[in-house]
Amino acid sequence: MRATLDRIAAIVVKEFRHLGRDPRALLAVVITPVLQLLLFSYAISFDVDHVPTIVVDLDQSTQSREYLRQYQASSFFTVVAEAKTMDAVDSAFDLNQARLAIVIQAGFGQQLASGGQGEVAVLVDGSEPTSARISQAYSVAANQLYNQQLTQQWADAQGLDLSSLGMLEPRVRTWYNPERRSSDFLIPGLMVVIIAIVTVQQTAVTLVRERDLGTEEQLEVSPLRKGELMVAKLLPWTAIAFIDVAVIIGLGRWLFGVPLRGDLGALALGSALFVFAALGLGLLVSAVAPTLDTANILALLIAFLPSFLLSGLAFALDQIPVVLQWLSYAFPARYMVTISRIVFLKGGGFADVWPELVALAAYAAAMIAISTLLYGRRAAR
Amino acid sequence: MSLKRIRLLIWKEFTQLRRDPMLIRLLMLMPVLQLILFGYVVAVDVRNLSTAVVDLDHSAISAKLEASFAGSGYFRIVAHPSSESDLRPLLDRGTATVAIVIPEGTQDRLARGETAPIGIVVDGSDSQISAIGSGYASQIIAGFNNDLRDSAGVSLSPPGVDARIRVMFNPTMDPVNTMIPGLIAVIMMISLMAILSQAVVKERESGTLEQMFVTPIRAGEYLIGKVTPYAVLATAQMLVVAVVGMLWFRVPFSGNVWAVLTGLALFMLTNIGMGLFVSLVSRTRQQAQQAMAFLMIPTMILSGFIFPIESMPALIQPLTRLIPMTWALIVLRNSFVKGSDFGPLAVPLLVLAGFALVIFTAAVIATRRRISD
Repeated sequence: MRATLDRIAAIVVKEFRHLGRDPRALLAVVITPVLQLLLFSYAISFDVDHVPTIVVDLDQSTQSREYLRQYQASSFFTVVAEAKTMDAVDSAFDLNQARLAIVIQAGFGQQLASGGQGEVAVLVDGSEPTSARISQAYSVAANQLYNQQLTQQWADAQGLDLSSLGMLEPRVRTWYNPERRSSDFLIPGLMVVIIAIVTVQQTAVTLVRERDLGTEEQLEVSPLRKGELMVAKLLPWTAIAFIDVAVIIGLGRWLFGVPLRGDLGALALGSALFVFAALGLGLLVSAVAPTLDTANILALLIAFLPSFLLSGLAFALDQIPVVLQWLSYAFPARYMVTISRIVFLKGGGFADVWPELVALAAYAAAMIAISTLLYGRRAAR
Repeated sequence: MSLKRIRLLIWKEFTQLRRDPMLIRLLMLMPVLQLILFGYVVAVDVRNLSTAVVDLDHSAISAKLEASFAGSGYFRIVAHPSSESDLRPLLDRGTATVAIVIPEGTQDRLARGETAPIGIVVDGSDSQISAIGSGYASQIIAGFNNDLRDSAGVSLSPPGVDARIRVMFNPTMDPVNTMIPGLIAVIMMISLMAILSQAVVKERESGTLEQMFVTPIRAGEYLIGKVTPYAVLATAQMLVVAVVGMLWFRVPFSGNVWAVLTGLALFMLTNIGMGLFVSLVSRTRQQAQQAMAFLMIPTMILSGFIFPIESMPALIQPLTRLIPMTWALIVLRNSFVKGSDFGPLAVPLLVLAGFALVIFTAAVIATRRRISD
């Protein structure tokens, strides 16, 4: 046991020396996550407002100007141009200058004045589907609101009392994040993705490099065992990843004001297990990849995309096809995103996240065992 | 410029590639994997939100309201907790992500002609769910109110605005139709940058770069020989995406093929330039790899590939214009979805040409200097 620890320690010291010799790389490992956090937390959002809108008023009446005022006043729309013809709409859509066009047909004012229905065409640019759906909903709501006002005015003029009609009124409450701050949504999940990207890439190349440089044979003739090598390769990066975790939690907490409502101990244990699981995944890549190029691409493939898309960070996992839901269990990010959200936002502790903690622990152990096995088999050949 | 020397170099690169059969297989698997992920995860239509209904009214109205939620296709009712306090554990564990609370006395209030509040609780830890869930819920309640008014026999004919909404270019608003054209550019960037950023630094690390210098190969020949195999590979990957996208995902193409090819060629030069540049300034392969990740991740996020640029804060939006990918995406998406021709695409194509000229030339000059040193 003592000898094992000594041997592991020796490799850990060696790995740290390698790192120390390349301070630029070390700096990148610590600085990159911070930059990514800042960038992502500002840039990732599905919220749409200030939809660039072009209005075409073919009626030019008091009523049409009155109707258009609601688009000018609302923060959901930004009127970027007021045109006289439909050609302007085509070119504005072609050049991506507008996403929405409001066209008031001639005769709009007359129709309304005579108690009829004024015609308006709302054109939505469907080429950006996320914004298109939301723009569509906004314009439906704006028109409903306007119609309610018209009805009210008409009823008042006719001397009718509309208040005798019962109505249901939705009162929406957003739990855990009442103001719907996007940093609260994002930072707990982003932390996981950023750590996954940094860690998998780093360990993915570590064993391949020893092989490339020919130092693998030297390690083999040393008394070091395979399992010891694996653990020793992981430890330095665990330490660095933990610094990243701490920095991100600190920035999230103090710079972005993300609440940390739950048990910090559960989060710390979860992070440790997750870092080990992600590094183990990287190690597995390193054990199977024959060259550095392959290791790099493989790491990129399994670290970046699945942790981004199959973790639940931006896309809800219960919405995707079942086969992909199963696939998402094969990557550690989904467990950690769940833990992180429950602890940060929902105020959970060990009692709430133990299934994910157990899963991560099992995952990490399995990864290290499999990569030891595969690496051993390859070395024996 | 000797064609023979270039051919020899290309042959050498291909031989090196072949020595690692896993790499080629991975590079061909990559577009398929990304197609599946982006086609089915990013382009997913949010439906069947797990919903808990707390019915404290137990009336005909509350049953009808629940039925209209269940029948909408947006909500899947998974639990009927008996009180609001039972909701907490359901949302905490994520069993339900939306809850509808129908307070006691709802039917009586409606009968008296009052406004009856309906509680909609959404899980705020997930931005997609909370935005979409609350939107759909409000929409369903608005529809319910209309039905109420109609069934009450109140037939009013006040003047109103008849707004006809028409979605242009992509009437179904299917996200796949914009995702897959974008993926063509993303695949090219990932594979060219990932491999080329290693290209020169690899030769330097293994010492073969010096050997190259003492041969009669000139810088231009070296570059062409080095880059061609990977450009061919990237083209094959793009073809996979385009073919699968159009045949399997049925993405329509209505634009000008030449405009798309021009845009892709310019974007390819830009990426080759960026990859070589990273490879030249890095001292170790690890540095090259980190520099590449450093460039690639912001590109993916800020180019509007996944998250619409319009949703970004006003301060970030100008930044997205500095990313070549942003412009490549405009060319691809407008061609596929809007059927744009050279005319409307002039600005993005010119910007791409500018990027290609500056970045590629800089990379060539830097390589030449490095080699002739």
